[in-house]
Order: sequence, then C-alpha cells, then structure tokens
Amino acid sequence: MTALRLQGVGKRFGGLRAVAPFDMSIEPGRITGLIGPNGAGKTTVVNLITGVYKLSEGRILFGDQDLSAAPRHEVARAGLARTYQTIRLLPDATVVENVVIGMYRHQTTSLLAQMFGLPSSRAETARFRAEAQQLLERFGMTRYANYPAGALSYGDQRRVEMMRALALKPKVLLLDEPVAGINDVEAQRLGEIFRALADEGMAVLLIEHNMRFVTRLCDYVYVLDSGQLIAQGSAAEVVSNPTVIKAYLGEAIDA
Amino acid sequence: MMSFIAPHLPLLDLICIGTGYALSQAIVFRAGTFSVATSGFAALGAYCAAILVVKQGFHPALAVGLGTLLGLLAGLLLAAPLARLRGVYQAIASLAFVEILVALILFFEDLTGGPLGFHSIPRVVQPWMLVVAMLLTMAMLYVLGKGAIGRAFEAMRQDPPVAASLGVNPTKYHVISFALSGAIAGLFGGLDALRNFSLTAEQFGFSILIATLSAVVLGGRRTVVGPLVGVTILVLLPEIFRPLAQYRQAIYGLLLVVVMAFLPFGVYDTIRLRMRDRRLARQAVAAASSGARA
Repeated sequence: MTALRLQGVGKRFGGLRAVAPFDMSIEPGRITGLIGPNGAGKTTVVNLITGVYKLSEGRILFGDQDLSAAPRHEVARAGLARTYQTIRLLPDATVVENVVIGMYRHQTTSLLAQMFGLPSSRAETARFRAEAQQLLERFGMTRYANYPAGALSYGDQRRVEMMRALALKPKVLLLDEPVAGINDVEAQRLGEIFRALADEGMAVLLIEHNMRFVTRLCDYVYVLDSGQLIAQGSAAEVVSNPTVIKAYLGEAIDA
Repeated sequence: MMSFIAPHLPLLDLICIGTGYALSQAIVFRAGTFSVATSGFAALGAYCAAILVVKQGFHPALAVGLGTLLGLLAGLLLAAPLARLRGVYQAIASLAFVEILVALILFFEDLTGGPLGFHSIPRVVQPWMLVVAMLLTMAMLYVLGKGAIGRAFEAMRQDPPVAASLGVNPTKYHVISFALSGAIAGLFGGLDALRNFSLTAEQFGFSILIATLSAVVLGGRRTVVGPLVGVTILVLLPEIFRPLAQYRQAIYGLLLVVVMAFLPFGVYDTIRLRMRDRRLARQAVAAASSGARA
C-alpha cells in the first residue's frame, strides 16, 4: 500500500499566493481530513494533486511515481479518483453509463477490438455493466440505473458521482465536500461507506467544512487558513487548538 | 415497381453519399470537437480515386481504398494542430484547411484539371455499392459507439475536464475521431468521384460543408441513424416541394430554424429521447403500483 505525499507543495496565481508551501501525507487505510474556512485553499489543493493546476513549487509523490507534473488523465490512471465540490456528471448519460465510464482505467482490450466490437470488447463492456450494478446496489440506486443522471435529485446525483469515483477502484479517493447540502442522516450513511473504504485499505482525503462530520470520521486532520497550513493532528487535538478556533470563530473580543 | 424506383435512383445515390459525409461530420461532434474538415477529406478521397483510375489505370476498388487511406492520413495530420484548439477556433481552422485544399486543387491544373474540373471519369460505382458502404459505415460506428471508444467520446463531449479526471487521454480520442472522420469522408469522396463522371473543386467548398452540417443538425448528431434521417429529409424535400421551387431556399432555411428551436437534438435523436423518457415514466408508474400492492 502506498501513500500519497505532498512535499513543499505551493501555488501562486500571478503574484497571489493561493497556497503556501506545505507537506501532507495521505495514508492508506486512513481518512485524512482537510478543513478550513471558505477560501482557505482546500479545493486548490485537490486541483494541484489531480493535475488541474500546475504546481508552483514542491513535489507530489505516489509510491515511486512522481505525479508533480502529470496531466489529469495520468493522475487518474495512477489510481487517484476525485469528486467535485459542485457536482459534475455526464448529464445526458444514464446513471449506469456514468458509472461505467469510471471504469475506463481498467480497460484491457485493444483499440481495434473496441473499434470493431470484437467479442473481447463486448465481454468487457458486459463485465463493467455488471460491476456497475453492484455499485448501484451498494448505494441503493438500482431503480435509477437507466435514468439520465441529469434528471436525478441533488442527493442522488452526489451518489452517482461517488459511484463513478469508486468505479475507478482508486487507491486514493479525494472527496471535495461530499456531504454539502445533504441531511445529517444521509451524511452519516455516506460516512459509514467512507469508513468501510478506508478499512479496505483505500487512502481517503475528505475536504469538509462540517466540523462535526470531520471530527467523527477523520483519523488525521490538516487545517488550512488563507492558504497557510495552521495545524495538523488528530481530530480532537485540532478542534481544541486555539489557532484553529480563531480561524473558524474569529478572535475573542476582550471587553 | 421498378418503373417507379428507376428514375429516383440518383436520389438514392445522393442520400448514401450525403449520409457518408454527414457520418464523417457527426463523429467529430460526438467526440466533442467542432471541426468542419469533412469536405476537405472528401475532396482528397475523390481526387485521389479519380486521378489513380484515370491517369494511372488503377483498379477502382484499390483507388477508392487509397483515397480512404489518404483521408485517414489527412485526419491524423490535422488532429495535431486542431487538438490544441477549442470550439469556434477549431471550426475556423478546419474551414481554412478546406479552403486551402480547394485553392490547391484549382492551382495544380495538370493533376486536377484546375478550374475546368476533372472529367471523363468512368462510372463504375453502382447504387448498391453505395448502399452497402453506407450501411457498413453505420454498423461500424454503431458498434464503436457501444464500446469503450464510444464511452470516452461521450465523456469528452459532455465534460472534457471530467473525462480527463477519469483517465481519458483527450489527445488520443481527438486523434481517433479525426482519423475516423477523414477515412469515412475519403471513402465516400472516392465513391462519389467514380459515379459522377466529373469532379470540380467547388463541389467540395463551402456549400457542401453547410449542407453536411445542416443534415447533422437536422437529423441528430448522437446516433448513427440521425445523419441518415437528416440527409434524407434534405434530399427529398426539394423533390416534394418542386412546385414551390422558387421558394426552395426559404423553405430550407425555415425548416432548419424550426428544427433547432423545437427539436434541439435533431429530428431522430429528439424522438428517441422522448421515447426513452416515456418508457422510464411507464416503468416508474409500474414500479410504484407494484410497490403499493405489496
């Protein structure tokens, strides 16, 4: 099992420093939290890891692979999957099709087999669809299998996005505010799924504002504020850290 | 029966060739690119086949095959610069490619006949060959759309960054779509050349490009049947409206506007989407009533 390591990773947009150089380790079998107030740079970190933005400095290592300059599709092929803060599905495709496209990196058939629909390619498609059905069952979405993803409710679309990320069978799962806009009961159910994935050996990075959700779920937490890493440690340590409290709640006014 | 069909055979030819071009255009749309290079690829295939048959005495089948290959190579070459562009910039660059080709055809008179056209090409392509070529192309694109390439195209069309984040290499699929587009247009260009006695450069200029685009918009761009439906409507319409011949262009324009406004995915694709929605609604009702009974 390999961990994803960020070494001195930082990002500047023009002259503006979005994220100051910091170190971070996302370990397999653990849920790592990344929290911080709005605009702290959390999503920027995910975009740096997944190759959407180029690093201004530092390195990203995944086992013996250097992903510092890898384009998005190579990051995905290395086994990193993500969800988006604002849901991004293929709205015209059905739920099953959305999940099956997530299995892209596990394709083994040749281009020619795919072009002429040879038996190997058809068998692979059938296998992917069967695996997609299993994921749908796990998320209780079987009855929506053939609906266009764009027609589903917000919460269900979140589930589809999650299933698509899991279809990659990733080694590292990057969740950008996965329970935003979802009620507490549903959030807890998703939390149980994340825990199960980590127990299976996946490295999970959870980006969240919801402190309660983070403290309940995360094994290790990093706190960003205005692009600076201001604290790290266990969830309990972090929430009692005065700097973190100040960043989240503001400074106490001495009367 | 034959006496009814025979006079209309040229229309069948036009539908098959037009559908070939429209499929070549639709395949780049399906991969989320906005190239309009199809008529350029067709010109390459057509002149290649005609020159090889007339001047070099090649067997027509071999000449058409080489025309197809030339179209494919042109697609591969064009993919590199065009993959760096997006949307309307791609359209403009590919339009420039078509215009440059037309200009070159006019310039190299010795080879192409220049502005006078290329004539006395033997008519060896029979209507049935065109039907077979069209059906085979449709079958291949259907199969391709069902598999991994179709899934990658679909993802790239709907959301390129998401496609990349799932591991789809965008450049690779741009290249595949251009190569396919080039090969298909090259094939039908070659067939067109060997059924029409003569070729002129204008045949592959702006007007065929617009006709092809219109057919794809009219019929539908996500299915393989859509282009066939669009071309069929555009070919048959002038025949049906013959009494109104002087208003032909007006009717044609009006039809496009109406289709874009009310059937945004094209005639065939919209009907298919509506049928799917109704089927899903029926299933939902059935599931709800069986749930209520249980």
